[in-house]
Amino acid sequence: MTKKVELLAPAGDLERLKVALLYGADAVYIGGPRLGLRANAINFTIEEIKEGCSFAHKLGKRVHVAVNIALHNKEIDGMVKYLKDLEEAGVDAIIVSDPAIMKVAKDNTNIEIHVSTQASTLNIEAVKFWKKFGATRVVLGRETSKEDIKEIIDNVDIEIESFIHGAMCSSYSGRCVLSNFFTGRDANRGGCAQICRWDFDLLDENKNILEGDKPFTFCTKDLSQLEYIPDMIDLGISSFKIEGRMRSIYYIATVVGVYRKAIDNYLSGNYKYDKDSEKVLRAVANRDSISQFLNGNFGKESQYYNGREEISNQDFLGLVLDYDKDSKMATIMQRNYFKKGDVVEFFGPNDKCFTYTVNDIYDEEGNIIDIVRHPKQVVKLPVEEELNTCDMMRIKKY
Amino acid sequence: MKLIIMPKSINMLNNLLDKIDGVIVGYKGLCMNMPKDYSKEEIEDIIKICKDNNKEVFISLNKNMFNKDIDTLKEVMISLDNMGVNGILYYDIALVNIKEELGLKVDLVWNQEHLTTNYLTMNFWYEYGAKYTLISNEITLDEIKDIKKNAKCKLMFYAFGYLPMFVSRRNLVKNYLETFNIDDNSKINYLSKEGKEYQIIDTEDGTIAYSDRVLNAIKESIEIDADYTILNSFSIDEDIFNKVVDLFSKVSTDNALEYKEEIDKMFPTYLGFLYNETIYKVKKND
Repeated sequence: MTKKVELLAPAGDLERLKVALLYGADAVYIGGPRLGLRANAINFTIEEIKEGCSFAHKLGKRVHVAVNIALHNKEIDGMVKYLKDLEEAGVDAIIVSDPAIMKVAKDNTNIEIHVSTQASTLNIEAVKFWKKFGATRVVLGRETSKEDIKEIIDNVDIEIESFIHGAMCSSYSGRCVLSNFFTGRDANRGGCAQICRWDFDLLDENKNILEGDKPFTFCTKDLSQLEYIPDMIDLGISSFKIEGRMRSIYYIATVVGVYRKAIDNYLSGNYKYDKDSEKVLRAVANRDSISQFLNGNFGKESQYYNGREEISNQDFLGLVLDYDKDSKMATIMQRNYFKKGDVVEFFGPNDKCFTYTVNDIYDEEGNIIDIVRHPKQVVKLPVEEELNTCDMMRIKKY
Repeated sequence: MKLIIMPKSINMLNNLLDKIDGVIVGYKGLCMNMPKDYSKEEIEDIIKICKDNNKEVFISLNKNMFNKDIDTLKEVMISLDNMGVNGILYYDIALVNIKEELGLKVDLVWNQEHLTTNYLTMNFWYEYGAKYTLISNEITLDEIKDIKKNAKCKLMFYAFGYLPMFVSRRNLVKNYLETFNIDDNSKINYLSKEGKEYQIIDTEDGTIAYSDRVLNAIKESIEIDADYTILNSFSIDEDIFNKVVDLFSKVSTDNALEYKEEIDKMFPTYLGFLYNETIYKVKKND
């Protein structure tokens, strides 16, 4: 059977980092205080990075930091210190697209260099260049097909990382500045305003409107490779990356859990494509998803013409804060409305999942209540089966 | 300051030879975002015309390359090296590796569109043979001046033309037409939003979208005094383009404002991001 592969998850803050690792990610990637492409996310301070690395390393897992901005002159000063700070914090690798940053890292630290997908690396020659330069891993451009990936892996001895799940840029990474033109926010420096999801009228060469049932957008469906995990493992891909540093703990726990199970099952010879898991993945993002370029699928079925009509996901009902084994009482923080009589599911790391009918609900003063309607309200539920901190409660759908 | 055009025909090049110092032309099958993709034979003709007239010639091989493109790319780079072109514009790093592995002498032009934004990276690529950089359109005049002080390479400044703002491997127009069963054979389409129109073109290699307005930085080209000033004829009427080239070929500190106003009469004033720094951190409540 094939070698072990890494499941790499996004984490927007320490809580999400811990959830991702507890739910089965082998590594997380995060944004630091400088030079990342999610400028409007919360991002980690150096102290938080240190804490995150310490948490990950105790579990034998890794932390990668995105330093993948398109560099401008004014960001050159301070770069050496920042990269040294990351190294001292215990960061295992940096994800970089600008070679000047890579060179500074190489000259001043021993930190591993991963070439970001922002570099749009799509072919053997480009991968060879990065290997010679000293990168230890290349995150391939999302436009690569199965055949492209195989040829690259067969010809260059370097770790290859590939996206398996999440939102897709409609453009080649780095070749879109729609956000700059429409909003003045720099797409290649973390300010992307997702203009690709806006509606436009499409006109013909005589400037007549070409009217479809829905307006034109640049937008594509999300990526989902669940069905192709065996193929991707067999190709020899080293790391499977989930997109979404700004996603919720519920999203991260769900997606990481589904892919952890799929990877482990395949590696242990028990893989069976599970359509219900695919439904869970779709529900958690509220968007359609398909495999896209891996199978040469970037035609009309990959497009998404619903604009910004998605509604937010209400499936996540509560986070387990504590469980008392003696009284079998779970302390839950509410994330969405639930009530007595609801049939729900508890799920957690290691494929834990069981059905539960909400019956007695106690508020913090011990009073019985019927409805949990307040955001982040803390309640207690009697639950026979043992729970752990960071387990979650969701609507039962499948 | 040398004046370089991106012509949309060999005829255009011939007509403008006495006003320019050289050309950038795209090689069919290996370029994107160019006013015309020229065949091998046409490229050979263009190189001959330029050499006979003591003009510089740069060839754009600026598309994203896949494994299937690599054999052709190598052949083309070897032949351009043999023909002694002044430089090859690249987006894909494959070209840097091929130049190094094959020991090609031809200089490279770092042309990663929106990513050519600082002098440190220019100096990095300089060591790998990129003796020129075509500067990003999304940075300010002050940033360009700072680059000029610190970059080792020769600088190309894009001073006139529509600005590319999006390149995709997908055929977005075709996908839309097919999804909604719409019949349309337009060579060029437009996206309309809030009264502005943006050209969008599907090609064999994907989709490209352009700015709604034409950049006219004739005055700034004098101020920047880059080694090369680039004028792009894409989607510009030939007579108007000839007039623009004429003005750029004669521009000086004394007449820059007058010439700018003359071009502004043909196109609404547009200076891209030269005086508008993009932001990337949005304040709370913005």
